[in-house]
Amino acid sequence: MSKDEPLVLELIDLLGYENVIIDDISLKVYECDGAEFFKALPDVVVFPDSAEEISKIVKLANTYNKPYIARGAGTGLSGGTLPINAGIMIAMNKMDRILEVDLENRQAVIEPGVVNLMLTQAVQDKGYHYAPDPSSQQACSIGGNIAENSGGPHTLKYGVTTNHILGMEVVLPNGEIIEFGGPIEEDLGYDLRGLMIGSEGTLGIVTKAIVRLTRNPQAYYTMLGVFETIDNATNAVSNIIADGIVPAALEMMDNFVIRAVEAAFSWGLPTDAGAVLIVELDGVEVGMSDEADQIIRILEDHHTREVRTAKDDEDRKKLWTARKHAFGALGLLAPNYITQDGTVPRSQLPKMLQFVGEVSKKYDIPIANVFHAGDGNLHPIVLFDKRDSDQVERVHMVNKEILQACVDVGGTISGEHGIGVEKQEFMPLIFSEEDMDFMVTIRNIFNPKQLCNPKKIFPIDETIGVTP
Amino acid sequence: MQNTNFSKIDGVIPKEVTIPSSVSEIQSFLRHVTKEKLSVIPAGSGSKLSIGNPPPQIDFLLTMKKFNKVVEYIPDDLTITVGSGMLLKDVQKILADNNQLLPTNPPYNNEATVGGIVATNSSGPHRLRYGATRDLILGLRVVQTNGTIIKAGGKVVKNVAGYDINKLYIASYGTLGIITEVSFKLFPKPAVERTMLLNFNQHGHALRTSTEIVKSQLLPVFVSFFSAGIPDTEVLEPCLLIGIDGHPKTVAWQIDQINSIANLNGVVQKEVYQDHKQSQLRSSLCAFPEGNGSNSAVVSRINIKPSNVGNFISSVLDLTSPFSTYVMSHIGNGIVYLILSDFTEEQIGLLANTLTVLRKQAVNIQGNLILEIAPLGLKNLMDVWGEVGQKSQLMTQIKSELDPANVLNPGRFVAGI
Ligand SMILES: Cc1cc2nc3c(=O)[nH]c(=O)nc-3n(C[C@H](O)[C@H](O)[C@H](O)COP(=O)(O)OP(=O)(O)OC[C@H]3O[C@@H](n4cnc5c(N)ncnc54)[C@H](O)[C@@H]3O)c2cc1C
Repeated sequence: MSKDEPLVLELIDLLGYENVIIDDISLKVYECDGAEFFKALPDVVVFPDSAEEISKIVKLANTYNKPYIARGAGTGLSGGTLPINAGIMIAMNKMDRILEVDLENRQAVIEPGVVNLMLTQAVQDKGYHYAPDPSSQQACSIGGNIAENSGGPHTLKYGVTTNHILGMEVVLPNGEIIEFGGPIEEDLGYDLRGLMIGSEGTLGIVTKAIVRLTRNPQAYYTMLGVFETIDNATNAVSNIIADGIVPAALEMMDNFVIRAVEAAFSWGLPTDAGAVLIVELDGVEVGMSDEADQIIRILEDHHTREVRTAKDDEDRKKLWTARKHAFGALGLLAPNYITQDGTVPRSQLPKMLQFVGEVSKKYDIPIANVFHAGDGNLHPIVLFDKRDSDQVERVHMVNKEILQACVDVGGTISGEHGIGVEKQEFMPLIFSEEDMDFMVTIRNIFNPKQLCNPKKIFPIDETIGVTP
Repeated sequence: MQNTNFSKIDGVIPKEVTIPSSVSEIQSFLRHVTKEKLSVIPAGSGSKLSIGNPPPQIDFLLTMKKFNKVVEYIPDDLTITVGSGMLLKDVQKILADNNQLLPTNPPYNNEATVGGIVATNSSGPHRLRYGATRDLILGLRVVQTNGTIIKAGGKVVKNVAGYDINKLYIASYGTLGIITEVSFKLFPKPAVERTMLLNFNQHGHALRTSTEIVKSQLLPVFVSFFSAGIPDTEVLEPCLLIGIDGHPKTVAWQIDQINSIANLNGVVQKEVYQDHKQSQLRSSLCAFPEGNGSNSAVVSRINIKPSNVGNFISSVLDLTSPFSTYVMSHIGNGIVYLILSDFTEEQIGLLANTLTVLRKQAVNIQGNLILEIAPLGLKNLMDVWGEVGQKSQLMTQIKSELDPANVLNPGRFVAGI
């Protein structure tokens, strides 16, 4: 887009030169998110500072009939921020203020560009935190979390984003600024706040959120169970859940990941192990070691080689840092990767992980596994080189077979990363025509002209030239 | 009991009762009523049909009571899928056999069906620890007014594929479709359950104690306040009822801690209950919003910020002195239930004025006040829900898109829906 196009001039007029990017080199930064396999350039990137400015941008988009899309931190893993058909990208970076912290009511009012971890850091000295903790929490924005309904390791006990958002301010696709929910638990009428969460930015742009804050637990008990095989580890997970124990977190890493993480962070993970489980309990200190003993017994029943315990808080934090940076560490192993995100009933984990191993062999595509085992939320990380078209073809088959298998055992195709563009073709695996028509009906009520983040989530006929 | 629930809704008698036994029956029924523009009130057991504005007329009352079976229960996955007409208490019985529970304890614990609970997001005191019913639902199956069946969510505990359509139906009060199946996530049954009863002679002391407990690192399952004793028990003073569940050592330690907090805040008497007496107290707590049995009781539910509860209750007690007043609050969640009774026909106007003032006060602090149970006379004087403001347009659009002939619960919900 050139500098003197009327839309650009109006955007500059509204936001100032410094808040409008149109040169190709700078735009490159915004051509993809964490699913870097998919690329598309926006026409223009803008940096508004208020809901009012966003409302005006949205109205301009309507006037010029241009698509537009919000961008948080760009860590999404399903191509959610991909500006298909170009258009205006609305970057939320400047709207990163924590507007109000209300500890008495355990809530905070924030702008959507606030980075997940920053929110926790702002309240941790007072003994609180924001519970949903995606592994990307050092970078990802709460706006992005709301759009994707993100989870994290501690989702097992504390729930996902939707369980922690009380209300929000939204700029609707007609430019109207509106509030859903509020600083209370139950608003009147339909739960439009609930509908917005997980709608992947296709129903409007969130400009403010009222989030719950969670009291820090009195104590943690963090264990690392070391296993010779993935099979033993996943059986232990199923057994823990079946025994009626719901820890605060229950995460698995396979040998691939252990080695990558250890090379990067040297926590002291056993690089010859088939898999490790991180099991964390939290809550009241008295009685906690009894519950830990119960878990250790189950790990032993499944032939754990050893169980290590985090020595102190620093040790615990180091272990979590290692776990949360696992994706990053893996990035070094192959030029490209796609992270699958299917969820299965927890009793099906051993079977599913065996299947993932078989598929990897069958197509000769390496797959690493680091995932939220307690929730049954898999993350097979499929490693490849996109310059090799044969590999790309095989990766596509791998994705398809794994997602189909998740669905076949009663699961779903995405536990937390969203559909975006990456999985839209797989939606029919779980949803009927009627189901999807219904969702499209709802979308069209909010977003009738399809300018707000178009061509996402639902299968589309037009090829967008990016699907592997 | 069920018949009285069904026979009249705000004085209107349904012309016909239909009791479908299959999804396909519901499909053809809904197609028929949509074509003929007939009105339908969907119901489970009818325990909460009092909630809503008076219906203009009712052609059909549709009850889901034949959808009363477990569809799939896999204890090892901690999930269950049941027919929407199943009684919550029957679900709990099956779960208890496997040492599991669905941690919601809404009012009408004995009669309420799963579908009714979902449609009203009916939740109990346990929401402090486990969240509201909304937070426990994984998936739904719903028949649309055009006869199509859709599924929302699924059976796994984490799922972001497509929109979170569950949220559209939870608390939609039967205005958008007929829910036929519900999937829930489950929890292990705690090893030990104890209930503490703390008596005070001043409201302020009780409220301060509860605030201290909620902001501590203790993990009670509920902390509920009663302004004037607990109905159906001999407790008559302001008191707190506190649930502590879990590992025996953890429970014992927390009871000690709560005792110390209470001692510092003017507690008069403390008791810890288990077994029969405990279940009695917990039932009375859950049943509080059902009213105190008198036919003419008015029950309101107020949602405000927890920090506003103390002042709001003082204001309630000031304004409602002409009536018998009972207040119960799940303080940590900012929920207040208010029961007003012992009023005459002539006092209905005064009652409406009082509740309107209280509603205004709640709205001024970003809250709301809903009438859950009210005589027709009162409903004629004030809306059951209050204003939804700017959002009403989107809500009306959703309603008219999903129920174009306006057959489901017409006129009973917010914004004239
Ligand atoms: C290393 C790594 C680890 C990860 N671990 C996890 C994990 O553990 N759990 C998990 O759930 N996810 C995880 N993710 C995925 C990702 O971090 C989350 O989806 C995150 O919520 C995206 O936030 P973001 O700010 O980066 O959003 P973006 O990627 O910028 O955007 C994502 C979507 O949100 C929309 N959006 C952004 N802001 C707004 C707004 N204000 N209003 C409306 N729509 C908006 C965008 O349009 C887009 O559709 C991980 C990603 C990486 C790279």
